[in-house]
Amino acid sequence: MTDTAAVSMKFHPQPQAGTPTPWAFPAPERGSLPNGLTVLRCHRPGQQVVAVEVFLAAPLEAEPEGLDGVATIMARAFSEGTDKHSAEEFAAELERCGATLDAYADHPGVRVSLEVPVSRLPKALGLLADALRAPAFSESEIERLVANRLDEIPHETANPSRRAAKQLSKELFPATSRMSRPRQGTEETVAQIDSAAVRAFYVAHVRPATATAVIVGDLEGTDLDAILADTLGAWKGDTAEARPVPPVTADDTGRVVIVDRPGAVQTQLLIGRIGPDRHDSVWPAQVLGTYCLGGTLTSRLDRVLREEKGYTYGVRAFGQVLRSAPDGSGASMLAISGSVDTESTGPALEDLWKVLRTLAAEGLTDAERDVAVQNLVGVAPLKYETAAAVAGTLADQVEQHLPDDFQAQMYARLAETGTVEATAAVVSAFPEDHLVTVLVGDASQIEEPVRALGIGDVTVVSG
Amino acid sequence: MPMGHTATAQAGSGGLTATEHRLANGLRVVLSEDHLTPVAAVCLWYDVGSRHEVKGRTGLAHLFEHLMFQGSAQVKGNGHFELVQGAGGSLNGTTSFERTNYFETMPAHQVELALWLEADRMGSLLSALDEESMENQRDVVKNERRQRYDNVPYGTAFEKLTALAYPEGHPYHHTPIGSMADLDAATLEDARAFFRTYYAPNNAVISVVGDIDPEQTLAWIEKYFGSIPSHDGKQPPRDGTLPDIIGQELREEIREEVPARALMAAYRLPHDGTREADAADLALTVLGGGESSRLHNRLVRRDRTAVAAGFGLLRLSGAPSLGWLDVKTSAGVEVPDIERAVDEELARFAAEGPTPEEMERAQAQLEREWLDRLGTVAGRADELCRYAVLFGDPQLALTAVQRVLDITAQEVQAAAKARLRPDNRAVLVYEPTHAADEAGAADDTTTTTAAGETAAQEGADK
Repeated sequence: MTDTAAVSMKFHPQPQAGTPTPWAFPAPERGSLPNGLTVLRCHRPGQQVVAVEVFLAAPLEAEPEGLDGVATIMARAFSEGTDKHSAEEFAAELERCGATLDAYADHPGVRVSLEVPVSRLPKALGLLADALRAPAFSESEIERLVANRLDEIPHETANPSRRAAKQLSKELFPATSRMSRPRQGTEETVAQIDSAAVRAFYVAHVRPATATAVIVGDLEGTDLDAILADTLGAWKGDTAEARPVPPVTADDTGRVVIVDRPGAVQTQLLIGRIGPDRHDSVWPAQVLGTYCLGGTLTSRLDRVLREEKGYTYGVRAFGQVLRSAPDGSGASMLAISGSVDTESTGPALEDLWKVLRTLAAEGLTDAERDVAVQNLVGVAPLKYETAAAVAGTLADQVEQHLPDDFQAQMYARLAETGTVEATAAVVSAFPEDHLVTVLVGDASQIEEPVRALGIGDVTVVSG
Repeated sequence: MPMGHTATAQAGSGGLTATEHRLANGLRVVLSEDHLTPVAAVCLWYDVGSRHEVKGRTGLAHLFEHLMFQGSAQVKGNGHFELVQGAGGSLNGTTSFERTNYFETMPAHQVELALWLEADRMGSLLSALDEESMENQRDVVKNERRQRYDNVPYGTAFEKLTALAYPEGHPYHHTPIGSMADLDAATLEDARAFFRTYYAPNNAVISVVGDIDPEQTLAWIEKYFGSIPSHDGKQPPRDGTLPDIIGQELREEIREEVPARALMAAYRLPHDGTREADAADLALTVLGGGESSRLHNRLVRRDRTAVAAGFGLLRLSGAPSLGWLDVKTSAGVEVPDIERAVDEELARFAAEGPTPEEMERAQAQLEREWLDRLGTVAGRADELCRYAVLFGDPQLALTAVQRVLDITAQEVQAAAKARLRPDNRAVLVYEPTHAADEAGAADDTTTTTAAGETAAQEGADK
């Protein structure tokens, strides 16, 4: 064999793009049921698997003192039996529909997600409604969920990226804030949770009047109103309003915490602080700038850390909303995360800071900004191909107190954002002297090189 | 240009159709039109995976996949990523035992760019490949190995079980990520030879799915790929067939710093593409798929001895498939107790078979998984390539759901009886070296790639 293949093909110039087909983020139809439940529906032709997202305004902030994790146990217990089915029967009935039902509790509230082929939507929506309307919360099932949750904790602690996330929350937020503590509770608090505590939380915070259901999929030929009336419409509850939540605050004094993992072959990095959420007009510029910094393999961080130096499989910068409020007092987590081999930890952090300093000193280029806009706007039709993706974003908007057309407007705003604004936003999102760095790795090998960088005081805690 | 035949929609295909074509240089082409959303997926499968690797060069197919993103004659450096992302597309490549795939999902008006890029590297990669990218991507891949396997609890379980389940010298004995020593040993000349051997139009299938004009798309494919010469340097992979039954339980106990005891096992199952494989899939779903499965009900709900218990299926066409059992124990529970319960459940299932309700549930679950898979243009493009490369007929992708629904309870029972036996499994037992630390929960989750598959970059690029 020779390299003839490399020289004998006929080359053509890079083709030009065709004419784009207009695409817009779908606009949902908003309404409500007599019981006060808000319903957003969205017809997506061809999407045979329907996605249903329910948001319950039961924030972690509302968990009683000493019972962190009760919202999580409640969320899980929704699929563990109702007034009609035992836990085993309920799981069997759901799977008979070919459905999946997931639920989790986060700072803004509880999310319940159902996916099911449209032909079995009435049956599955009935099961979901039963779960919300009349969950059994039997003592025995709650005991089992608590024991199961306690067994999960060591697995999460052992995972470097989850261990890093836990440490960063503890560092950033005041000890009195719910945000400083693990979302799903600690061994001490979870052990205190029983059926009565779960029911009390449910009674206090779960009701149709403060809940929203988002339903997306190919709904042609489906009488959704009739199905809703028979299912989620049968859920009763009082009309109490959702409780207000306090503003989010954090201490982003530049410092380093090493979570010691003797013998670890890599160091997990998580570098973060808090910043504006989607209510702030800077959001599109922040999204754009953060993408240029670390959104993909060709962004500034990976261009150096991965593609030039080979220190990592990939480092990403991102902004993730923690919790929003209608008055704009919410916040997002702004962070850089990835893992690097142990001996490259010092050099990788040094390069990472160099990237941040260069960005602050010289700014983004117009070319970088253009490519980022083209990607962020251009991928929209790909990103929202499935019903589940559309439902997820619509429910995020509800949970964050944003208008239903937020995402649709976001694309226009991104396209209008210039290089100067994007630079300003990312530089103020990631200021080199106001970042809290968590490193999960072998302290005996990484502590000295990290101290030498001068990126803040260094403390070591046990793994 | 040779014309392909036009398929009409077949039962169970959800109205989807695909046409097939072949260029003179042997490149097979599959096109499937769908105008619901203005997007299109381009997917290329090269018929080469880790099973083609030789002793001392494990991991080469995957390392090579990374090099495919380092530029070609007309594409500089990271240009492949830059151009696709700049066009509003997303892309990645992955390597498994049996194939290497590359895919771009594009806004429909940018499909031609993806075709041009794929053709450029298929035809001219070696003119850009140099020591610098080789050394750099070697380090990246070693960090991928550390991140995904070496630095996470139980991270090397898949590699260990595979090595047990397929004997020394078998082409599937090692996994696609390869060993550190072999990654260090790979040379630029190895990479060049690998390209010359396997990266030829007659060793690939390209599918384009979505909002396309099939005639125009085929003309572009002819224009960009048509002049790439075919060549026949490829050796077939070593024979992967093995007896149906291992014949004895193979066992390894690992003492490692893990958070809990674990029982994992790999059962030798029928080759993909057979009715028996679909029957085994249903058996594993009844026994260990989802929250109404027999093992979940027994171990997690009733005995309360496990945190999680389930079965998965790794479908393989060139070697026996693997039925993958994974049980993480609850605090204080011993592995023999778990093992006894698992064996009881498997024996009972083999003796009685599934109930009608269990069959209905398992078929409904697998049907939904297929709808999910075929519900995106990228998923459909990948499945069309899979059936074209591994089974010679892309149309089989569109009827796969129906084949699963045709399986009878008797076939499911027969598969379980024949295969899910203690003398047909490799077992891995984890014993922690010391008790887990006292600590609270952490948040956040990470994206993972399917077992036995490694990727150019983590997760899907959205």
